Order: sequence, then C-alpha cells, then structure tokens
Amino acid sequence: MKKLLALVLALVLCMGCVSMATAEVKKPEKITMMVDTTVFTQANGRDLFEARWEELTGIDLEIIQPDHSAYYDVLQQTIASGEWPDVMILSSTYYSSYAAEGVLWDMTDAWEASDLKASGRFVGDRVIEGLKIDGRLYGFAPTRGNGCVTYVKKAWLDKVGMQAPTNYAEYTAMLDAFVNQDPDGDGVADTYGVSAAGFVGGEAPFVNYLAEFYQDAYPFFVQQEDGSWVDGFTQESMKGALERLAEAYAKGWIDPTTLTNATKDCRNKFYDDGFGVFTYWAGTWATNLKTNLEAKNLSGELVALPPIAEVGAYFDRVPPVWAISSTCENPEGVFKYFIDTMLDGGDMQMLWTYGVEGAHWSKAAETVLAGTEKEKTYAEGEFHMLENMETAGTLYTKNHIDPMLSLATFAEGYYDPKEDSVKPEAKASSELFNASSKLAKIVPTTEEMSMYNGDLTTLKNELIAKVTMGEMTYDEAMAKFEADGGKSWSDQIVNSLNALN
Amino acid sequence: MENKTAMPVMNKKTFKFQLFSLLNGLGFALFCFLIIIPLWKVLVDSLDLASGYGMKVWPTNFGLAGYQSVFSNPTLLRPFFVSVITTVSGTLMGLTISTLGAYVLIQWDMPGRAFLGNILLFTMIFSGGMIPSYIVMKNLGLVNTLWVVILMPAINVYNLVLMRNFFEGIPASLFESATLDGCTPMQIFYKIVLPLSKAALASIGLMFAVSYWNDYTNYKLYITKEMLYNFQMKLRSIMMGSDLPSANGGATENTVQNAAVIVAILPFMILYPFLQKYFVKGINIGAVKE
Amino acid sequence: MNAANIQVRKAPLKNRILKYKWFYVMFLPVLAFVIVFHYLPMFGVYFAFTKYNIIKAPVWVGLKNFKRLFSMPNFWRAFSNTLEISVTSLLLNTGMSVIISLMLNEIVSTRAKKVAQTIIYLPHFMSWVVTAAVFQMLFSPTTSGLLNQLLLKMGLIEESIYFLGNSQWWRLSYYIINIWHNTGWGTIIFMATLTGIDPGIYEAASIDGAGRWKKMWYITLPSLANTIITVLILNLAKVMNLFESVFVLQNNAVMDVSQVLQTYVYYQTFNSGGIPDYGYTTAIGLFRSLVGAALVLMCNYASKKVRGRGIM
Repeated sequence: MKKLLALVLALVLCMGCVSMATAEVKKPEKITMMVDTTVFTQANGRDLFEARWEELTGIDLEIIQPDHSAYYDVLQQTIASGEWPDVMILSSTYYSSYAAEGVLWDMTDAWEASDLKASGRFVGDRVIEGLKIDGRLYGFAPTRGNGCVTYVKKAWLDKVGMQAPTNYAEYTAMLDAFVNQDPDGDGVADTYGVSAAGFVGGEAPFVNYLAEFYQDAYPFFVQQEDGSWVDGFTQESMKGALERLAEAYAKGWIDPTTLTNATKDCRNKFYDDGFGVFTYWAGTWATNLKTNLEAKNLSGELVALPPIAEVGAYFDRVPPVWAISSTCENPEGVFKYFIDTMLDGGDMQMLWTYGVEGAHWSKAAETVLAGTEKEKTYAEGEFHMLENMETAGTLYTKNHIDPMLSLATFAEGYYDPKEDSVKPEAKASSELFNASSKLAKIVPTTEEMSMYNGDLTTLKNELIAKVTMGEMTYDEAMAKFEADGGKSWSDQIVNSLNALN
Repeated sequence: MENKTAMPVMNKKTFKFQLFSLLNGLGFALFCFLIIIPLWKVLVDSLDLASGYGMKVWPTNFGLAGYQSVFSNPTLLRPFFVSVITTVSGTLMGLTISTLGAYVLIQWDMPGRAFLGNILLFTMIFSGGMIPSYIVMKNLGLVNTLWVVILMPAINVYNLVLMRNFFEGIPASLFESATLDGCTPMQIFYKIVLPLSKAALASIGLMFAVSYWNDYTNYKLYITKEMLYNFQMKLRSIMMGSDLPSANGGATENTVQNAAVIVAILPFMILYPFLQKYFVKGINIGAVKE
Repeated sequence: MNAANIQVRKAPLKNRILKYKWFYVMFLPVLAFVIVFHYLPMFGVYFAFTKYNIIKAPVWVGLKNFKRLFSMPNFWRAFSNTLEISVTSLLLNTGMSVIISLMLNEIVSTRAKKVAQTIIYLPHFMSWVVTAAVFQMLFSPTTSGLLNQLLLKMGLIEESIYFLGNSQWWRLSYYIINIWHNTGWGTIIFMATLTGIDPGIYEAASIDGAGRWKKMWYITLPSLANTIITVLILNLAKVMNLFESVFVLQNNAVMDVSQVLQTYVYYQTFNSGGIPDYGYTTAIGLFRSLVGAALVLMCNYASKKVRGRGIM
C-alpha cells in the first residue's frame, strides 16, 4: 500500500515538479547486489571497492558474486529460493523474461526524475529507449553493449599493395590477395583471408563475425519499418548472402575449419599469422590483438575497417542491465543511491569506471611494472592504472564500466582520465564503432517462439553451414527447410510476433 | 619385485614367451605414444612463449613465463589448501561410507539386505535436479560452507557397488572362522576386510580423491564466496580469463592457459607413484589366512 | 497348523535381525547420506508435472510437458542418437579398458608398468573443452591436421577429410576421442581386480602346464567378468546423461548424427529466447531417468538369468 502510494505520489509529482519527488526518497540502510565478474573480484580488491562505495554513500553494501560461468545458474537458484537481491545485473534475455514475470521493479518514473537524466551528460537515450518493454523501463545500462568491427593486418595490406577496402568487390579482392600472394612472406601458400568461429554466431546479433558476407541478410526474426515481423532467413536477401559465403569458402577466402573453430582457435591463428582479416570486439580488444601479435614479433598494426558500403553499419548489442527486484523494500532509495549515482560524473563514476585510488589506479609519483619490459615511471599527479593483483605483469584497464562504452561523460571540471588511460588503438576502434553502428533490438518471446525456435535455429544453422561448404545448393537447402518443417515453424513464430502488435 | 606370474616355468616355452612380451610391450608403447600426442601439444604450448594453433614437436621460443604467470598469482595458495583439505577429508569420508555400505551389503543372509541395496541403486537413476538440491542444502545451512563440497560427493553409489564387488571376493570361510573366534562385526571389518582390500581401497580412494580434486560443478553452484574457492575454480578463472589483458611477462594468453592445464595435473603426477605399490602387489589370500 | 507355521518362520526372522543388529547400525550413516543428498531433493520430481519458471509458484499441468517433448519434431532422432552413441562408446571404452588392463597385467617390468599407468591416466585430467580444442586441431583438414597429413603421406587418402565436420566421419572420430579420454582411467578398477587374484592360482595352473593364453582365458578373464558386468550395468544408468563430450565436439554440419537428448534440450532452451521452463527440463530429466532405470533393470535381469545374480 505504502509502495503504491509512493508510486502514485511520484507519478503526480513527476508531472509537476521533478526535484520534489526525488527529495522524498528515503535512504536505504543496506543494499544487496548480485553481480557477475564484470565488477572486480575478491582477488582483485573487491573489498576495497565495497569499502569505497560505502564510504561514498554511507550505505552498507553486500555483494554476491558467483563464479563467472555459473552466474545465471546461481541467479536462478537464488530467485527460486525466494531471497531476491535488491539489485542484480542481467543479460537481455533474463532482463526481458524477468520483467515480463514481474520480478523487476518498474523504474520508468524514477528514471525520468533522475539526476543523471537531468544532468545533460547522459548520451544514451537511444540505449534506454531500446531497453523499454511496452514503453516501461525495468533496467538501466551504464554502457553501450559494444559489438564487432573488422580488423585488417596493415602489414598484409602493404605486402599485397592494397588499400583498406570500402566495398565488397574490394573486400573480396583483398581476401583473394591474402590467400594467393603469400602475405606472411614464408613462401608457403598457407594463409586464409578471414576466419570466424562458425558460419553463424550463437547469440544475437548472429551475423557480426562475417558481416561482410551477410550484408543486408539476417537469419533471424527482424522487425520491419512498418512494425511487422519477418523471418530474415526466408527473405530473398539470404540467397545472396549464402551464395557469397559459398563462393568465399570454395575459393579458400574463408578458413576451411571455420565450422569447428572456437573463438580461441581464431585468435591463435590470427596471432600465428594464419589469416589477415578478423572481425572482433571494438575497444580493448584492439589493444589485446595488437599486443599478442607483437608478442610473436609480428607487426601489431591493425586497420579498423569502417563498414564496407554493402554492410552500412555494425551491430551494437543490447547491453547487460542493472535491475531492481520487485521485492526490494525501498526501490526508490536503491535507484537513487545505487543506480542514479553510478554515472554521477564524479567520485562514484570514477569508482565504477576505474576502481579504487591506490589499489587500481593512482596519481602518485611512482614506477609501475618495475623490472619488466613495460616498466613506466609517472610523475606526481599523473593518472595511471596499477598492476593487476591477480595477474602479475599486467595493468588494470577498467572496473565495471568500460570508459570507451560509458554512456555519460564526467562532470564539467572533474578530471576524466580517459585520454590517459585508454590506448590509442582501442580508442580508435571504439570511436569508429560508435560512429558506424546500429542498435540491435530485443526480440520478444512468444509461446510459439519457445516451442519451435530451438529446432528452427538448429535447422537454419545446419543449412547455412551446408550451403556454405558446398554440400548443398541454396535451392536444395530451401527445399529441405520446407520439408523438415522449418517453414511452418517460422511462419507460426512470425504470426505470433505480429499478433503482439 | 617381479610379477610372479611372469616367471618362465618351462624352458621350451621361453622363446615364445619372450616374443609375446616383446609384442605386448611394443603394442603398449604404441598405445602410450598415441595417448601422449595430444598431451604433448598442451605441454609444448605451455613451455612455448609463442605457442599458437598448430602442433609443434619442441617449443620454438622456450620460456617458463606461462608457469610464472600461473604461480605468481598470489591468490592461488589459499585455493590450493582448500583443495587439499577437501580432497583429504572428502576421500576419507567417501571411503568410510563406501566400505561401511559395501560391508553391510555382503551380508547375504541379512534381512532387508536387498531392500537397502535397492535404496542405494535407486539414487543412481533418479535425481531431484539442481534447484531442489540447492533448496535442501540452503535449508540445511550448507550453502557457502565447505561441508557441502565435502559431504555431498562422499556418497557415491557407483564406488560403493564396486567396493562391494571387491569385498565379495573375500572367502566367506574367513568371516566364519573369525566369528567363531568371537570377533564382533566391527572387528572383522577392520581386522579382515580392510587389510585384505588394499588394492580396492587404493583404487577407489584414488577415484574419490581425483573427483574431489577436480570438483568444479559443486563449487560453482554452492559456493559464491571466493574465500572458499578451490584450486580448480581458480585455474578455470585463469584459463577463461580471456577478457583480461593478455601478454603476461612475455607469455601469451594461450601459453598461460596451457600452463594452467598442466598445473592442474601436477598434484596427481606427484601423488600417484606413492599409491602405485598397492596396484602392483597381488594379495595371496592363502598366506593371510594363517 | 497355519499358526504354527507362521510361528516357525517369524522367530528366525526376529533372531536374524537381532543377529545382524550391528550391521544395521553400521548402515545408518550411509542411509543418512543418501536421504539428505539424494532423497530429500527428490521432491523436485513434482516439478515435472508443472509449469515452473522459478519466479512464480509452479502450476500443475499434468502430462503436458511430456506431451510437448514427445511431439517435438527432432526429439526421437535425438533419443535414438543418444542410445546409439552412448551405448557404443560405453562398449568400446569398456572393451578397450579390459584389453589394456590385460596387456598391462602382462608387463613384467615394474618400472615400465608404473610409467605406463601414469601415462594412460593422464587424459582423464584434461577437461573436455581442452580435449576438444586439441583434437579439433589434430583432426582438421588443414596443414595443422596431423592425422590427415599422416594419412596423405601414407597414401591412404587422396585429399584431406574434415573428420569432425562431416556427418560420415563424425561418430567414428567421436568414439576415438572418447577412447583416448576414458580408456586409461577405466583400467583402474580392472587393475585392482587383477591384483586381487590369488597368485597361487596362477602358480597351480603353470604347474599343470597352462600357457599364457590359457591362463588369461581360464583364470584372468573369468575373474574380471564380475567387475566388467558390474561396471557395464552401473554405467547404463548414465547413458542418457551424455552431454559434455558431445557438446564440445559437435557443430552445425553434423547435427543429424550428433544431436543427443541433452544437447537437444540445451539448444531448445538456449535458442528459445527466454528463461528455461524448469518444469519442462525436469520432465526431460525424469524421462531420462526412466529410460536409464529400464536399461539397468533389463540388464540386471539378464545378468540374473545368465549368471544367477545381479549386481546388487
């Protein structure tokens, strides 16, 4: 009753006077949060993070942090046992399902009245809009979801005397040169143009690792301009995509073991100079790829390719979100003190982005990684990240919020270490991605979807693999798609999605 | 300590015998060689600072930085002790439960014996599932304690049945004479049954120890406090730590991961030779009888 | 007369129970363990007949979950794949373990035996993820694929075979990788049985003029038979659980021969775009249990018929 009253009150005040509504909020004494390992783990100074957070808010914070691979199992168990945490971090799948089941507190009004939204520093309105379910908001994302850009080895381009491609014809010409002109210079024809872990990805957006071949085709359900849904796999554009893939595979442009590659295999082959074009995560990974190549005495210079003309834009994933449980005693308080402060443009944002001063970063005059090749000395007042407590010899790069993906800048006059902490290549790839990506959309779940989509996706993936590897033509694949029931499952799901509108 | 059975008995058979041994040895060497190839790949990669996708015979850029990176991890010590404690106590617990159960189940004339056996077998086939188990453990206050990872795997019906299988081989006459001598069931258990089952205790103990050492699933589900993580959990997080900045002191991410795989095997390789003697020694029951 | 009969039967039973009273006491800890860790969680079987998404209280739906499962287009294919792959690899692994144990038993040098045993146990310590990664490489159709390179050199094949990416070759490759992973560890229990054989029996046989083969055939194998049958029947209970080894080795192009029940369920829930319905997954678990139980009971019955006794 009290909650309802508060909500009504908030709603009313919202329309009239924003600042008054927030002034009513009671400060919680304790907040329990459940988080995956994207926040510093215990071995990396989580206790210091917790202490600093408590110091900044005066609220007792309890952190439950399961092992990374068990996060959703433990979350499900916790939800089943009835003791829900106040705040938790959720992937888009769990976010939309939990929201639909009433596990999550509706934060639409709190968000509208938030200090962050009013601050003018927040640049993620598009992201927040994308998180709304039926117009209501149940979770908050402090960052973009990030996605993949295509990296090309500069040394290989130079070797074959080519420029970075801007369209598909140039792209394939480059792949062909990478296969036939011995770009690694070892005298053996053992290189491929591009590699990926599978011809189609395991989670949305499914096509991002081989975007140049898929182009406008998308083998999953897509909402069209007019709001109606179609199954991209049955569209005409898929024919072109599969033919491009088949051609590329037959000509050896694509790594022949793409089907069975794990992501790790791709990375290792890339570092082994086995192939030259790799579509992978924007941002920090640009640096990782570079350092790993350099560790093998190869040139680490990579060209982050703007999307070729036919691709148009890279996919930006739906980011993981922070949500408040509907059983939380004081959700307004948790929102105000936990979520709204996360990007406060000051000390708290610093804590969530870079960690604790003196533990994860510092401005003191000192030498980091003393005695190693990467030793570096800083003067007093110079911002720098500190050595990783768990993995000696490496530096921290960030805490929960990746500075390159953050949706809010620091406040006017507050020192923003981004320029000093982010490596130039990571910054470049991230900025390129920002400038040329489109937001992936949450696809709603329907009864038919949960019934048939497992079988349907398995069948689609099988057909994509077989057509690409030349075991089947496109027409044979479509005949099999129909004969095996794929067409009928697909139609039923499309109808159920359209019925939602 | 040559195997008695292998002693040549008749001279005319010696040649044939040697040929057999030779072929057997060669066949076995080939088998071991095939077993080693994939392991060799992991070992070489762990010692090669420039390890990659393909297979190499020797490290091209030899270095121990992969291992240094694993061992310089200051947080590895505590998980190591957690592993040692749970493995030792768990194995003892597991052996106690298995031998007790197995001993009772060879009392052929005991009323209800078959029923008790079936109660155990039933649990091998039916399980309540992950969430109900969690709720029970939570209600018992075992979540986030080491008790759950020690006690839960201690009841292993598979091992118990195998143990019973071994106990069955002990001649009934031994029990009868002991009973006539006035031994209580408990005395027979530790004076006759246990000493005669060293090979069984060693092999099933090893199976228990290895499953405790390798336990990952139970920790993943029941332990969310990093203080209570075991060695495997830690190694997995090193292995899966692909989002961590790579290139640790000259070793690539791949080198470190392969080093972690090897490190996980090391304790077994150190421990195993000590257990070995129980596997080679045949037990002459006739001799024990006297 | 009837009353007298009952009297006669009753008294010994009471006596017998009294006689074994300490054994019942000894069994108590075992019982306590199975109750706490196995029987208490079994209340969860109830969820198989409900719709339960963890969040809201479970809703009774009767047999709907089973109907849904059985009506799934690819369910039966996954079911038969599970049985075929699981039983075949169980037989192959056990058979190989027995052969290797016998060979090991014939090795004369203790040191060689020690080394050999340590080596063959090692694969057990490699997780399936690592195992899969290594074998994907060894079996690949590229220049890194050791197996293909060897076969090409020997002239046995003309062009590289994509062993793990081709429906015709996938299962064979899977069995080989399984043998690699499991055979060595499987010998432990057989080796323990072999060392339990009274050396006196071999000596007696040698004096009677029995050669190696005869001793192996008439002494070693029969002593192993009991363990082999027990191991096989115990493992039958697990055949429907087949998951990880298949999951890490399968790919989109070999689904028709590699999709097993557990991976099928995994993809069903993973690709459904929602959180798993716990009622449905429990129903599948229950179905698997029933099949496992049927297999165990059948084989135990067969064992009783043939050998006069089951495993319990």
